[in-house]
Amino acid sequence: MVRPTGVHQFVPALLPRDATGAHTLALRDALREAGWTSEIYVEAAHDDLRPEAHYFEEYAERAQPGDVLLYQVATGSPMADFLLGRPEPLVLSYHNITPASFYEPWEPATAAKVDAARAQLAALVPRAALCMADSSFSAAELVALGCRTPAVVPVLVEPARFAPDPDPAEVARLRAGRDTGTVMLFVGRLSPNKAQHRLVETLWWLRRTEDPRARLRLVGSAITPTYAEAVLRFADELGLAEAVEWGEDLTPAQLAAWYAEADVFVCQSEHEGFCIPLLEAMHFGLPVVAIARGAVPETLGGGGLLVGDGRPVSVATAIGRIVADPDLARVLAEAGTDRLRAFSPSLVRQQHIELLAGVHCGPGTAA
Amino acid sequence: MSTASHDASSLDEPSTVSQPEQAPPGAGPGTGTTVGEDGTRSVTVVADGDAAARAAYLAQVMADIDAEVARRRASGDLPAGLERQLDELFLEFSPMSARGTDRLREQLAVVDAGAFVDIAVPVASRKAVGSALKRLIRSAISWYVGFIVHQIVKFGWSVSRLFHLVVEEVEDLSDRVDALGAPDLPEGVHVASAPGTSWWADDAAAALSGVVGRVLVADCGDGSLVGRLVHDGVDAYGLDPSEHALEEALAEGLDVREGTVLEHLGVVGGEGLAGVVLDGSIQWLRPNDRLRLVDLVADRLAVGGVLVLHSAAPEGWERSVGPVVADLAPGRPVHAETWAHLLESRDLVVQTVKHSAPAAVLERLPADQPGAAVVNAAVDAVEALASVAGDYIVVAVRQS
Repeated sequence: MVRPTGVHQFVPALLPRDATGAHTLALRDALREAGWTSEIYVEAAHDDLRPEAHYFEEYAERAQPGDVLLYQVATGSPMADFLLGRPEPLVLSYHNITPASFYEPWEPATAAKVDAARAQLAALVPRAALCMADSSFSAAELVALGCRTPAVVPVLVEPARFAPDPDPAEVARLRAGRDTGTVMLFVGRLSPNKAQHRLVETLWWLRRTEDPRARLRLVGSAITPTYAEAVLRFADELGLAEAVEWGEDLTPAQLAAWYAEADVFVCQSEHEGFCIPLLEAMHFGLPVVAIARGAVPETLGGGGLLVGDGRPVSVATAIGRIVADPDLARVLAEAGTDRLRAFSPSLVRQQHIELLAGVHCGPGTAA
Repeated sequence: MSTASHDASSLDEPSTVSQPEQAPPGAGPGTGTTVGEDGTRSVTVVADGDAAARAAYLAQVMADIDAEVARRRASGDLPAGLERQLDELFLEFSPMSARGTDRLREQLAVVDAGAFVDIAVPVASRKAVGSALKRLIRSAISWYVGFIVHQIVKFGWSVSRLFHLVVEEVEDLSDRVDALGAPDLPEGVHVASAPGTSWWADDAAAALSGVVGRVLVADCGDGSLVGRLVHDGVDAYGLDPSEHALEEALAEGLDVREGTVLEHLGVVGGEGLAGVVLDGSIQWLRPNDRLRLVDLVADRLAVGGVLVLHSAAPEGWERSVGPVVADLAPGRPVHAETWAHLLESRDLVVQTVKHSAPAAVLERLPADQPGAAVVNAAVDAVEALASVAGDYIVVAVRQS
């Protein structure tokens, strides 16, 4: 069996403060440490990360025998067609594609785009020598597409991604706007599958039944502008405009401040392929309340409260209970810290390296 | 708020068990081991022991929370309807939530906004040289980009203009269709119906006797025909546009619901019914709705399924409904022969057409009276001229 000598990653966009981007960079470093050559190839890269990447078309001239191509799949890209035409062994790392049904009422064009991305995935799976997924939830999709034995390997989340200390100016700003009410936090792009409108509903119930001064803080880019606008209008309609804060493009230190100034992390996403912010909340010692959708139950493990029925009323009651019971909040924070160990970077790095080392680079490598 | 009693401090105490030399398989994170003097290995199950106790504690917390929610719901603090209203309120903000031409106009505004392409590419950059470089590139290629953009914008506006024309045309058509709508009938007008006690009930029951599958009785009124069919062993259910008309049937525990036959058949699966009884408001359906009804029945009836149709005859209808309803009704009854023609064109074979017997209204002379035969013959002739058919039933079966 011929072992790979180089593992090169292909990712449509390499962006700062982006889960797939951070994973790709961390994995590149781990692969190099393991003795392989490893480069990142992109369709587009942010200015700050441009030196870290090459345009994917350039790979054709740089290809070497023993190369394995690892495609980070989270969206559609012309890169998929390029990879389909390459003779090197292909490895898919599937981070999940949001189903079109979430976008249809908001942005039909985006719905068509994700459908096209899924079609690309369907074409890539039979060609792949190895399929990996962040979660069993995502792996099940790969099985449905014909992959018999997908490997489940978590996202590589390096502690360096978190700022050691919160930005003091941001802390002061957040405290100035707070009147001691409960602060709910959610981090994730404003998108229909993240269901931020459900968080607004939960806030409404929380203020009605538990804490009339409660606030909701949302962090994330408005990737679906029509949805983001609707969430804010909805909050306004419910008289919550002043109680909902939205932050985007935060630096790691600013993000640390948002975590530090929150009482509970609340996730009511309807669809998640992994949900890195759950790990962030655990890292910052914040109690987590989430609903059982997508990969959330397996990522959360026992590291938080999982509200079975997922209804805002129940989530609000759970939040009220956590805020009223410091012992419970402490136990949840400890549970999160313990859960985080299952995603230890050294463990995840090793899992990736072992799987990639097993990819056969000889003739007839395509599955 | 209720609070579960628990000993949180116990969660902090690590439990220690003695194990043979070999570490337990699957020892998870947080499991520490130390080798003692006797060669045994002490396994300090910090995380696993805590995890089990913690999981039990958190499960109890969730059970408490569920119980709290249930208690509040029961007390009326958390009305279920309010949750639904919040969901519905949010959906109103979806761009696809608008209906009819409002929706078209909203999407048209999106197309208009998207038809403009800004040639002034942003040049801001965090690096000092970046902004200058971007500005340089922008001005250097503006002639090229401008040429392309001009064509794209021209195309965009052409498409937008076309959509405007289409929307205006649709709005005009909507207005015209609305204008064709029938005026509202006087409030409370309904074909009061007790079909189970009518002259044709026996014929309907006989036609539907022994059918296997669900039988719909449309415009079932008081449910008397549904009840009779159920009594005969038929799996019958009823439908009526008037909730008020159903009160008696509901009180008797019959399977009846509010709704119109066209709406209901629209959601029934193909070949899903073994029998259909049409009555009541079918007599004043608009011509296009009548054709739609026949199409739906032909599709929803299983092969071998039975249709029983009862309607007023055109000649007697005006008298039965009164002048206002007769003038304002959206449609007029048709003759039994017309229904038969429509049904047979959809592979429904007509088995029976039966008219109600005209009531004798003029008195005859006793036969033993002088001249009775002549007078009664004259009375018969007059009555035949004056009488009109009241109503009829048509029974048909789906052949294929």
